[in-house]
Amino acid sequence: MSSLIVKRSSSRFSHVDFSKFHIFLSLNQNHKVLVSGLPPVLIKTIKNPSWSYLSVSRYHNFAHLSGKDKVLASGFRVLKSLFSTQSAAELSTSDGITVDGIVASNWTILDESESDWKSHAAAIAQSIQVIKRRLQWKKLMVRLDLLSVQLNKPDLWDDPVHAGKISREHGSLMAKMKKVRALEQELLEHIDMIKLAREEDDNELESEMLKALLQMRRNSNEKEQEALLSGEQDSCPCYIEVQAGAGGTESMDWAKMVMQMYKSWAQRHGYGVTVVDEMPGEIAGIKRATIKVDGEYAFGYAKAEAGVHRLVRISPFDSGKRRHTSFAAVAVIPILGDGFTHVPINESDLRIERFRAGGAGGQHVNTTESAVRIVHIPTGITATCQNERSQHMNKDSAMAVLQSRLDQREMARQAQVNAHHTQSLTDIGWGNQIRSYVLHPYRMVKDLRTNYEVTNPDSVLEGEIDGFILSYLSALLDKDEDCRNLSA
Amino acid sequence: MKLGLSRACFYSSCSASIFSSSIPSLTTIKPKIPLFLRPPTYSVASSDLQKWHGWAKSLASSVGSSFVESDDGPDSTLLCRELNWLLEDSLENRSSSSCFSFAACNYDSLDGIENVMLRISLDDLYQLWKQRIEERRPFQYIVGCEHWRDLVLSVQEGVLIPRPETELIVDLVSDAVSNNEELGQGLWADVGTGSGAIAIGISKISRSYGRVIATDLSPVAVSVAMFNVQRYGLQHVTEVRQGYWFEPLKDVEGQLVGIVSNPPYIPSDNISGLQAEVGRHEPRLALDGGASGIDYLLHLCSGAAAMLKPGGFFAFETNGEKQCKFLVDYMQNDIAGSFCNLNIVSDFAGIQRFVTGFRQ
Ligand SMILES: C[S@@+](CC[C@H](N)C(=O)[O-])C[C@H]1O[C@@H](n2cnc3c(N)ncnc32)[C@H](O)[C@@H]1O
Repeated sequence: MSSLIVKRSSSRFSHVDFSKFHIFLSLNQNHKVLVSGLPPVLIKTIKNPSWSYLSVSRYHNFAHLSGKDKVLASGFRVLKSLFSTQSAAELSTSDGITVDGIVASNWTILDESESDWKSHAAAIAQSIQVIKRRLQWKKLMVRLDLLSVQLNKPDLWDDPVHAGKISREHGSLMAKMKKVRALEQELLEHIDMIKLAREEDDNELESEMLKALLQMRRNSNEKEQEALLSGEQDSCPCYIEVQAGAGGTESMDWAKMVMQMYKSWAQRHGYGVTVVDEMPGEIAGIKRATIKVDGEYAFGYAKAEAGVHRLVRISPFDSGKRRHTSFAAVAVIPILGDGFTHVPINESDLRIERFRAGGAGGQHVNTTESAVRIVHIPTGITATCQNERSQHMNKDSAMAVLQSRLDQREMARQAQVNAHHTQSLTDIGWGNQIRSYVLHPYRMVKDLRTNYEVTNPDSVLEGEIDGFILSYLSALLDKDEDCRNLSA
Repeated sequence: MKLGLSRACFYSSCSASIFSSSIPSLTTIKPKIPLFLRPPTYSVASSDLQKWHGWAKSLASSVGSSFVESDDGPDSTLLCRELNWLLEDSLENRSSSSCFSFAACNYDSLDGIENVMLRISLDDLYQLWKQRIEERRPFQYIVGCEHWRDLVLSVQEGVLIPRPETELIVDLVSDAVSNNEELGQGLWADVGTGSGAIAIGISKISRSYGRVIATDLSPVAVSVAMFNVQRYGLQHVTEVRQGYWFEPLKDVEGQLVGIVSNPPYIPSDNISGLQAEVGRHEPRLALDGGASGIDYLLHLCSGAAAMLKPGGFFAFETNGEKQCKFLVDYMQNDIAGSFCNLNIVSDFAGIQRFVTGFRQ
């Protein structure tokens, strides 16, 4: 075990010339070092010397790396890939406290307003555990080791496409891992500092550290939420599709309400919304519609909505004013970016049809209707677009939908557990109810998967569905973890 | 050819007179600026705009399927979609039109906005929508543009509104060019260019090497085509000339690597029964193809034999299966030896629409 002494004051540290420091650290991992010009002392123990690196970079909070620091961080990644024991590393304070240790010692967690460092530390440590669980930490580490081994193979770049994929995945997992490590590091260093400040009766430093801990605690909620969206496709934009169940106008009206709920939700989040395809009902509502939701993590959130939504109300379309139950099915399809492998599409496997075409066409007809339907003959999967103003653009847009549907089908095929949010509309059984909206005789929206409920249906139908989404996503990830523990 | 002779003579004499007097007149035809390109100088209370929108919507709804029944015209669903596009083109801030057009048609998100900026006065909006419904004036003339492929082309009365079917000609050219580099680097012609649609579409494909000359007899078409060419910054590769079919191309006879055309092909007898938007508003010169509709196509086929280089490509749009077969038969028999690799291509409605081939 090596120990490293670095003198610093946290507030001034960020002004240190980072690049020099980097060289210095790598040269002196196993020595006690005094850096001239840097004030008071901090002693820190690191079980694995390679982590000393993070202790530096964490002050430059990864999220805000400047261009120069980024170079350094990636240089580090290369360096790291030469080590294969990274997953074995566990961080601790100078007197051997680890994050798991903090959680295990059950320090009382008091209200944020209480200036108690142990309480803050315990709350943060708990958050870190939640984050790790959500990231499926153990699996992530195993995968990272595996990828590192592959990256170190000399013949890797013989297949550049494969190599690109491996290095992208490695990069993205590495970034997640580093973020957590940085959090742990920060927590432990603050604890070290507080202890040190107490030993030396440095009140100023102690209160500064206490403040820093409180800040960390406040930020940790957001970090927990971020960790909910760590799936490979979560950051992608997506399509949301809604289809009315049996029951005529009443359920078509319900389908339209559901779609409106998602449009409002997406707009609240500042996502771009475009209607790709919409098939109106004869009297009211929609039979089916597809919207495209553009923006970061659109799929990560929206995937929680896939399934059947049930409505109970007095139907405005029933002159007898009876209570009706209607259903609408929702499917969510990620739009995979360039970094993903797509199912190849053969031009000759496609049949492209003009929608609602009739008569002689050509010069005989002037119409602004230029919808097209594309049929992928081998799979029978179709895609339609009608909202663009030219046939060419409708075709492009329908092609994009088709590609996503084929990709999704492939994902579903590959997935060992066929998670229902990878299902297409046709695969979602009407029995697969996920949420119930009751407007009469009482008023409540309840998620049948999590039992999360809200007593104001209007707010939900106006797009306030984040509570449902987040509670489902956390439940989903906790459940995942349980499954793995059982099978392990 | 026998059929078309008298008509051809008529038009060619007529073209000569237009041609001689048209140099000054061309400059006096100023193309109209499409709505979406006009400056947003009209400040309108959003409540007034909502009132207009409500009125326009109910006018559109009142149509039901009556136009469909009378002449295969638009139904109210389609008219409502056009209404949203009219708003989109009129409003300074395009995205705020979505507050109107979203399915539920709720105006909530506009409530906070007192005034909106429009590119057209409210009075004119009332006027235009009335024309759309009562006179069946084509939507594209109302907004002054047509979205065609990835282009937004300016159109106005006197110029045919490019059809979705015709978009495929550009794909046919694109395929031909990608199989043969030489085609991408030579001189092309789009005869009877109208708004310039096909010419601009193919200019964008062969932008770096090739050149395109577009011709039309109609001075309005010529000036609109020039406007569109300029809007896409293609004036260095795309030239517009006025005149009767190949006449303005005498200087490049035998030098073309490709010819495309969508000439008038509707049989004269069918003109009176056309959908109101077409028959009442679009120029007859752009539609009427003579007694059987095929006069110009035959004229272009034989003309193409003289204009194209050996190996040159052509693609013509036709009225459907009958004309396609007739043309292929004509080229294989009457002018045998001029063309090879003749092919009939269907549009997305499954109608045999295009004939393509190569100069031998
Ligand atoms: C069916 S429109 C096609 C316009 C355009 N190419 C398109 O596809 O949208 C036929 C065009 O041929 C032009 N035209 C008709 N007779 C012509 C002639 N004798 N010489 C040149 N152009 C002619 C018309 O003015 C019209 O623009």
